Amino acid sequence: MRNTDKAVFVAGLRKTFGDVVALRDISFQVVRGEVLGLLGPNGAGKTTTVDILSTLTRPDHGYAEVAGHDVMSDPAGVRRSIMLTGQQVALDDMLTGRENLVMFGRLQGLKKSHARSRATQLLDQFDLVQAADRAVSTYSGGMRRRIDIACGLVVRPEVVFLDEPTTGLDPRSRQSIWELVSDFKEAGIATLLTTQYLEEADTLSDRIIVIDHGTIIAEGTADELKARTGATYCEIVPRHLKDLPAVAQALGSLLPEHYRAALTTTSDRISMPAPDGPKTLLEALYHLNAAKIELLDIALRRPSLDEVFLTLTSEDSGDRYDARLAAEALR
Amino acid sequence: MTTTAAARPTTAAGARPTPSTIQQWWVLTVRVIMPTLRNGEVVTQVAASVMFTVGFYIPLKHMMGMFAQSMSSYAQYLMPLIALQAIAFAAVSAAFRSATDSVQGIDRRFKSMPIASMTPLGARMSASMYRCSLALAVSLACGYVIGFRFYGPVAHTVGFCLGVLLIGAAMSFVGDMIGVASANPEATTHMTMLPQLIFGLMSAGVQPAERFPKWIQGFVRNQPVSQFVYALRALAGDSTPAAGAVTWPVIGPALAWVVAYAAAGIPLAIWVSRRRR
Amino acid sequence: MSITSHDKRTITLDGLPEVGHTHARHRIHQQRKTGPKHRAVRPAAVESSPRHLVPHTWILTSRILRRWGRDPTSMAETLILPVALLTTLNVVLGDAISKVTGHSALYGTVPLVAMVAAMSGATVGGIGVMRERTDGLLSRLWVLPVHRASGLLSRLVADGLRIMMTTAVIMVTGLVLGLRFHQGILRTVAWFFVPTFFGVAFSAAVVTLALYSAKTIVVEASAIVWALLMFFSTGFVPLDQYPGWLQPAVRHQPMSYTIEAMRGLSLGGPVRTPLLAVLLWSAGIAAVCAIPMAIGYRRASMRG
Repeated sequence: MRNTDKAVFVAGLRKTFGDVVALRDISFQVVRGEVLGLLGPNGAGKTTTVDILSTLTRPDHGYAEVAGHDVMSDPAGVRRSIMLTGQQVALDDMLTGRENLVMFGRLQGLKKSHARSRATQLLDQFDLVQAADRAVSTYSGGMRRRIDIACGLVVRPEVVFLDEPTTGLDPRSRQSIWELVSDFKEAGIATLLTTQYLEEADTLSDRIIVIDHGTIIAEGTADELKARTGATYCEIVPRHLKDLPAVAQALGSLLPEHYRAALTTTSDRISMPAPDGPKTLLEALYHLNAAKIELLDIALRRPSLDEVFLTLTSEDSGDRYDARLAAEALR
Repeated sequence: MTTTAAARPTTAAGARPTPSTIQQWWVLTVRVIMPTLRNGEVVTQVAASVMFTVGFYIPLKHMMGMFAQSMSSYAQYLMPLIALQAIAFAAVSAAFRSATDSVQGIDRRFKSMPIASMTPLGARMSASMYRCSLALAVSLACGYVIGFRFYGPVAHTVGFCLGVLLIGAAMSFVGDMIGVASANPEATTHMTMLPQLIFGLMSAGVQPAERFPKWIQGFVRNQPVSQFVYALRALAGDSTPAAGAVTWPVIGPALAWVVAYAAAGIPLAIWVSRRRR
Repeated sequence: MSITSHDKRTITLDGLPEVGHTHARHRIHQQRKTGPKHRAVRPAAVESSPRHLVPHTWILTSRILRRWGRDPTSMAETLILPVALLTTLNVVLGDAISKVTGHSALYGTVPLVAMVAAMSGATVGGIGVMRERTDGLLSRLWVLPVHRASGLLSRLVADGLRIMMTTAVIMVTGLVLGLRFHQGILRTVAWFFVPTFFGVAFSAAVVTLALYSAKTIVVEASAIVWALLMFFSTGFVPLDQYPGWLQPAVRHQPMSYTIEAMRGLSLGGPVRTPLLAVLLWSAGIAAVCAIPMAIGYRRASMRG
């Protein structure tokens, strides 16, 4: 069963560690040049999925194929095609950056001189020339991540697994990793990115898969997922808090009754649904202007991916809770 | 989309519990001891004590016995060294453990908690003393098997045991400091057996200083292990007067060496705490 | 990856031109025709063929050697402590033994200390494996398309080289103290290599232990074992010093055989029997450890 047009093909993966079911029927695909974000809380099964795809773990059931190689029957082929960076920076930290690069190059079949020139090239591109001949243990967090990824790129991979690549990095280093992911895209490399940072998933991924407790609870682009959770709304912040009731009044029929009732003495803004998007915004502005109310801010907002995530995972646990109650009632 | 001030989480009592130093010390001590009961470190300590006994006694009994020491038996002569070797083994394990801990960064974690800075060290020392007591007990049992007996009054016997434990405490302290300072478990592993064997062999524990070549007799006689051995032999006593009397010229130097050895750990301790800051 | 540069920074990937070139498409076609040579071999063959075992093992071995070189404290201890032990044993027991046996004690003591140096240093390798397992380096190396046995073999080869180095230092110290080789160049060279056999077998046992138990146990248990072997070998004191019931055990243990083989190769006496016995012991221990070691290493590299 070869699907060589897909960079990663996963069907019905299942994995149990003792009593814990880490993965329950995971299926997805990644095509070349695509960035797939794997989103989920700790313990959701993201790392287990990546472990299976990088041949570090064998699944109990299911089928997984990376770059056309079956992870069970042809793990060597998988290893030849991938690059893996984990949450830990796994390098020999007593060797220098350059020595690590040369070693990884030689281990993947490059001749010594070729490995050396490749190392110099990568050091330059990853801006590590100053630190090239210092032991990796002396590098900062961002530098270590860069050299880690550089070591994976000595030979061109077909699929890249980035397991929480920017955890613990400063914003500048995070930015540079993000740029790298776009480079992968342009080079036609498929990227599987696991992350807890919703912003990261949102910005980088073409598609997102949300995993919780070993199952996929949602799949789609960031926009699709956001739309699932709620529609656009319009947020109005008056300059003077005491104008809030006046705002509510001015909006009239635009503001539904239960939104008006939700206002408390400590509210500092009004949110109202914006079914027509910008048109609703214009109408609101028109009404507020007529009432001569000074505004601090007025904007159209979509639910953040945070809210998406929380909703999806609470939906998921809510369903499961109900199911469990039902099961117990039947006993 | 309004925000209200969330209630700050408090414990049932409404305030953060004050940690008790004693409790912390106990928790940390148990932390060091518990794994040993599970993973067999008790077994290795017992095995080490037995090994030192049979290893020094059996091969050397005839050879050293040929050149009579005038003590009642070679076992009586050798016992102090056996105890010292067993104690040293326990102390070096302490060093290795603290080196491993400091590499894993646990120490840094403890430093950020409201733990008195001496408590982790105190806990490690307590755990070492537990091992040293075990080492001493097993050594004495093995010594009994090969013929060692306590001949002196009870006070001397207690002095023997306390002396051994005191030496063990000093070695544990210095070993711990070295482990923390170096943070290099690989380097510490080499210290597990060789240095103590070298010093033990090059001392009056195995054969009298007079039997050594002239040029090294001074070193042999005056090195700390020999001084410890002289003191411990006197405290253990013998059926013959050859063990020596428990007098200040015999016990004093040993005590001085213990103090000096422990004192050597203090600059290390200062250096370590300064480096951390 | 400098944020400050204004040009579009590109990543050059092997076999593929830099992205952003106007003639990109043309160059891609060209490159495809002359792909990198290493792609010609089937991936599975690389991971299990003998042809790749040697180069991969060598690359990983030189990595380990480089690491050791960067830890001068351990290096110094590995060399200095055995020299001190040899000097001590010579001072303490040298005269007594030569009185009993009639010739220099060094013929037994120097091989003894060579073995002690070999065995006491084995824990460094064991600890190293455990550290790299915790750091995730073993997993990283496992995911590379290298020969599956190269990681484990590299540790044993590195230890073998370490043993040769310590033996050389002990040999020189022995010569300084008065050891003389009476059996010719060939046998002297053979003498040099003998500690490596049982030494590497012992290292294999230590690594196996390291893959299955806690660090402190590995260090303490190995120390107790080699010290026990040392005390009860014919290099420590002559065989007749031991009680009769113990003598067979002392005679047949691997360290004694190593020492006797080396004594035969330097002073004179039987060589073939003890050497054969050493090889049997070494092969036996290696055989017993082989499968648990391979399984343990694989488990340490993989995750579940």
